Amino acid sequence: MERGEARMAVDTSDQTAVAAEISGENLAIVEAQQLRRTFGATVAVDDVSFEIRRGEILGFLGPNGAGKSTTLRMITGLLAPDQGSARICGVEISEDPLKARQHFGYLPEAIPLYGEMEVAEYLRFVGKSRGLEGTALDQAMDRITDRLGLGPMLRRRCDTLSKGYRQRVGLAQALIHDPDVVILDEPTNGLDPRQIIEVRQLIRELAEERAVIFSTHILQEIAAICTRIIVIHSGKLIADKTPEELSDFSSSHWEVVVAGDGLSQQLCVGHGLAEGVAGAPGETVHRWLSESTPDLSTLARQIEESGSKLIRVGRSRETLEQVYLRLTGGQGGQR
Amino acid sequence: MKSIMTVTRRECGSYFGTPIAWIFIAMQIAILSFFFFQFSPFFVIESADMRVWFGLTPFMLMVFAPAVTMRLWSEELRTGSTEVLLSLPIRVQDLVVGKWLAAVIVLVASVVCSFGIPATIAWLAASPVDWGPIIGGYLGTLLSGMMFLALGCWVSALSHNQVISLLVGVFVGIILVLVLSPDFAAYLSGTYPALSRVVESFGVQSHFRAIERGVLAISDVVYFLSGSLFFLALTVFQVELKRQ
Repeated sequence: MERGEARMAVDTSDQTAVAAEISGENLAIVEAQQLRRTFGATVAVDDVSFEIRRGEILGFLGPNGAGKSTTLRMITGLLAPDQGSARICGVEISEDPLKARQHFGYLPEAIPLYGEMEVAEYLRFVGKSRGLEGTALDQAMDRITDRLGLGPMLRRRCDTLSKGYRQRVGLAQALIHDPDVVILDEPTNGLDPRQIIEVRQLIRELAEERAVIFSTHILQEIAAICTRIIVIHSGKLIADKTPEELSDFSSSHWEVVVAGDGLSQQLCVGHGLAEGVAGAPGETVHRWLSESTPDLSTLARQIEESGSKLIRVGRSRETLEQVYLRLTGGQGGQR
Repeated sequence: MKSIMTVTRRECGSYFGTPIAWIFIAMQIAILSFFFFQFSPFFVIESADMRVWFGLTPFMLMVFAPAVTMRLWSEELRTGSTEVLLSLPIRVQDLVVGKWLAAVIVLVASVVCSFGIPATIAWLAASPVDWGPIIGGYLGTLLSGMMFLALGCWVSALSHNQVISLLVGVFVGIILVLVLSPDFAAYLSGTYPALSRVVESFGVQSHFRAIERGVLAISDVVYFLSGSLFFLALTVFQVELKRQ
C-alpha cells in the first residue's frame, strides 16, 4: 500500500512536469551550447553556453568588442558558428532556420530601416514576411502601433524619423509577430535619458510574457532591469549570474579609515595593514592584507594612543562597477 | 511564392516610389528614340522595321541593367538592413528572386512604354508591317534583360558600394556583349574555329540577333534563361556567404 502511494506520488509529479513543459514554463526558449566563432586568427567568441526561459531578461554585458554582437548574431542565425549550436524554442537554428526565425524578433544595433518607405508600409512588409496577413496583420499593426505610440508616425517616411522614433519602429518590427523571444543589440544606444527609461520600461513589460535578451556595455542598465547577467570579455563567458549573485560575487575586505595622513609604519606592520591610500578629503584608508578577523579593540586603542583619529572600521564591499572592471581585467572601455 | 511576392512588392514600391525606375525608363526610351529616328533609314527608305532600335538594345541593357540593380543588395549591405532581412523567415532564394523580379518589372514597364514606336511605324507604314522581327526583338529584349538584371543582382551582392557594383556589372556586361561578339567570333574563325564557336555560343549578341530576326530557337531561349539562373544562383551563394 505504501509502495502504491509512493508510485502515485511519482506519477503526479511527472504529470506536473509534463504540464509545465507543455505550458512552456520550464522550456528553455533559447539554448546556446559552446558557441565558438573566429574571424581569421581572432577568436571573437569562445565556448559560450547559456539558456534563457520565459519571463527572464538576460543582459549581455561586456566592453565594446567583447563578442556580444557576435554571440547574438550566432543565436539569430545571421552568423554560422565554427563550433557549438543554438536552439530557439527547441528548434536548431542551423537545421530549420525558417522555423527558428518565426520564434524571435531581432533588432540590430544600427536600427536599419528602409528610408524611402513609410512606417506603416515598412511594418506591414515585415508582418507579411513573417506570415501575417488580412485581419491578423491589421490586428498586429494596431497592437504594435498602440504599444509603441507610433500612431502619428505611420504615414512618415522612415528616413525623416528622429532617433527615438527610429528605435521604436525598429522595436515594432521585432515585435509585430508577437515572438517568444526578443533579441535586442544595444537597444538604448544613442537615446536621451527619457527614451532610455521608456525602452527599459518596455523591456520589462515584454518579459512578462516572453524572454528578452539584450546587450549593453552600460552597467546601470543591467542592474536596473535584468533578471540575469552574462558578462562576456574577450569572447569568453566569465559570469552568468543574477544581479544579486553578482553583488554577492563582489569581494569584501576589512578596512580602517583614519583622519589625516594615516597610521605609522610600525602600527601597520603590527596589525597586518597595507600602506594608507587617500580616501575622502582629509582621510586615509588602510586595507587589511589578510582575510582573518582583525583585533579591533587593540587597534582602536593604539590608534588613539598614537594621536590619530579613528573615523570608521569595518568591511567594505566592491560596487557592481568594481566587480565588472575586475572581471573584465580592468578594461571598461574600448579594447 | 507568397514571400517572393512580398519582397517583389517592397522592391517595386522602392523603384516606382523614388525616381529610379522613371529615370531608367525615360533615359532608355530617349536614347533609343534619338538613335532610332536620327540614324535609322526609317524616313529615308521608309523601312517599317525596328532593326536600329533592337540593334542597340544589348548595349543599352549592358549599361542600364546594372544601374537598376546596383542598389538591390549594395544598399542593404551598406545600411545593415540585411541583418533584419536575413532574420525574417524567408529563404535566401526567395529574397534573391523577389528582388530580381522587381527589377524585371521595371524592364517590362520600359518595354511597354516603348510600344509607341511600333505603333508609330504601323501608323506611318505604307506597306503592311512585318511584326515577326518586332515581336522577336521585344522577346529578345526581355530575355536578355532578365539575364543582365540577374548579373546585376549578383554584382550588387558583391559589394556594399553601389558604384563598385555598377562598374563591375558594366565590365562583365562588356565581356558578354562586346568581347564575346559575332565580329570577334568571325575574326577567330579562321585560326581558332573551336574558340570561335565558344565565343559565339557564350556571347549575348549572337543569341539576341537570332531572336530579333524573328526566329525563336530553343537554344537561344535556353541561353538567356540558364544565364539568368546561373547569375541568380551566384547571388544566392554570395548572400549565403555573408553568414560564413
